Amino acid sequence: MSNFSLSSRSSGDIAVMMPKGYINDIAAECLEQENEQFLGHGMKKLVVNFSDVKFINTIGLSVFLGMMQKTLENNSILCFTNMKKDHQAIFEIAGLIKHVKVFKDEKDAFIYLDGRP
Amino acid sequence: MEDPDMKDKKLHLKRLMFSIASLVDLGQEATSSKDLMSKMKAALFVITGTLSVPTAALFVYQPKRHELDLVVAKGHRDIDAEAIRLGATAIQVKQFRMNDPHTFRDLSANSFFEQNKTVLTNLQARIFLPLFAKGTFVGAITLGKKIGGAPYRQGEKDVLRVIAHQMAITLHNAHLFLELSKKATENRRLYRNMQRIYNDTIQAFAAAIDAKDGYTKDHSYRVASYSVAIAKELGWKKKDIEGIYVAGLLHDIGKIIIDTGLIRKGEKLTAGEINEIRKHPEISYDILSKVKFPWKDIDNFVRHHHERMDGKGYPDALMSRELSEGVKILSLADAFDAMTTDRPYRHKLGLDRTFQEFIECCGTQFDEKITGTFFNLLLRELSGEVMELQILPLLNNGDEGYLADGGTVART
Repeated sequence: MSNFSLSSRSSGDIAVMMPKGYINDIAAECLEQENEQFLGHGMKKLVVNFSDVKFINTIGLSVFLGMMQKTLENNSILCFTNMKKDHQAIFEIAGLIKHVKVFKDEKDAFIYLDGRP
Repeated sequence: MEDPDMKDKKLHLKRLMFSIASLVDLGQEATSSKDLMSKMKAALFVITGTLSVPTAALFVYQPKRHELDLVVAKGHRDIDAEAIRLGATAIQVKQFRMNDPHTFRDLSANSFFEQNKTVLTNLQARIFLPLFAKGTFVGAITLGKKIGGAPYRQGEKDVLRVIAHQMAITLHNAHLFLELSKKATENRRLYRNMQRIYNDTIQAFAAAIDAKDGYTKDHSYRVASYSVAIAKELGWKKKDIEGIYVAGLLHDIGKIIIDTGLIRKGEKLTAGEINEIRKHPEISYDILSKVKFPWKDIDNFVRHHHERMDGKGYPDALMSRELSEGVKILSLADAFDAMTTDRPYRHKLGLDRTFQEFIECCGTQFDEKITGTFFNLLLRELSGEVMELQILPLLNNGDEGYLADGGTVART
């Protein structure tokens, strides 16, 4: 059984995804699919809130990598919020942190995104 | 301010730790209980996550077709995976460096690249990683451009070599397991066929035995079925129930070499003729003891099916304590069918009369426990207490019976 679940919501032109649990299994691929769906619906401001994420491994990184690639291809913005130190560290070591905007919390991300076209 | 040299060393160490972590992730996936495709998909995710490559594909080699079939892809949502194949002749495969990442420049001298250029371009492939396990080519991985377009570092290529080795072994083992599973399935099919032929042969023998005498038509089949009904009541194991069924079918096989005229004779038999007929259990034993049945005691059951509890039976005049439960079951089933069917020398007895006969002979000719078990079941069937009738349909010339495979099938 997977220890991963996902909830999401949209607020205006911003989509927020809240993964929960362990992002270490291909079950987390649904996060990538959810991201694509939002992009498909024309939403170009995407936020991932990490507050309920317990663990990320290289499989999880691959999921986020897919999201980053699609976001780049769609000229969209991907923001990460509420990241713990170890979450941020794994993205930094993998050299992926430069492809996303990192904020302390959703509020800061929304302020940044609200000012974007 | 931190020394730049120290900063580089720290970064190098972090990358090393990250590579080790990715190998741990891969190992966990390879040894997980997931099915092969899920394992391969997870492994592909580990590679792409480790190297920051958004697109990758895994191919499995089909040696008979000399083709690589795409089985898992990452980052290629719009492709028809089933239609994607790479041709790879034996000569081309020989030119691959085992489990070593190849750039397209590395492949330029190999006709493989030219032959598959279109597919590789469509997959945005930058790296081709051939997978070898124990010297056998089992598949390949293609990797696309890294996110942001950064080049593949030497350290990353080293990690790829280790990953390739592990994935090749996983694929190879899965292939071996698949082959073994196929063989096991085939063996099971062959075994079932043999079992069917075996059953059909036994049924044919039973039919040949009963054909000696029109009066005893289907006698062996009914004896077998009654024996099964009793054995089931006594809680016998499935395998032993099959055995008693076969013993029932073949118990009179010795009659095949007894003179047909004697078997069909309607008048009273002479002492010599009785002795002749009484040879059939021993003849049955002689025939069946040479057959290596998968069930135990078949030969002994048939040899002693005319023994009695009081030691006055034949051929060995054994006492009750010397007789097995199987013998006692077969003996009762044989006698019950003889009483409840017409014979050349008398009409069949009614159930009341048969019941009376058994009461009188209980303990002398028949075993008390077996008699009680059988008539209890018969009474329960008569009272409608049991749904699955085993005895009554045979008394009423029903046409269903127990087979060695445990099923109830129409008789031929």
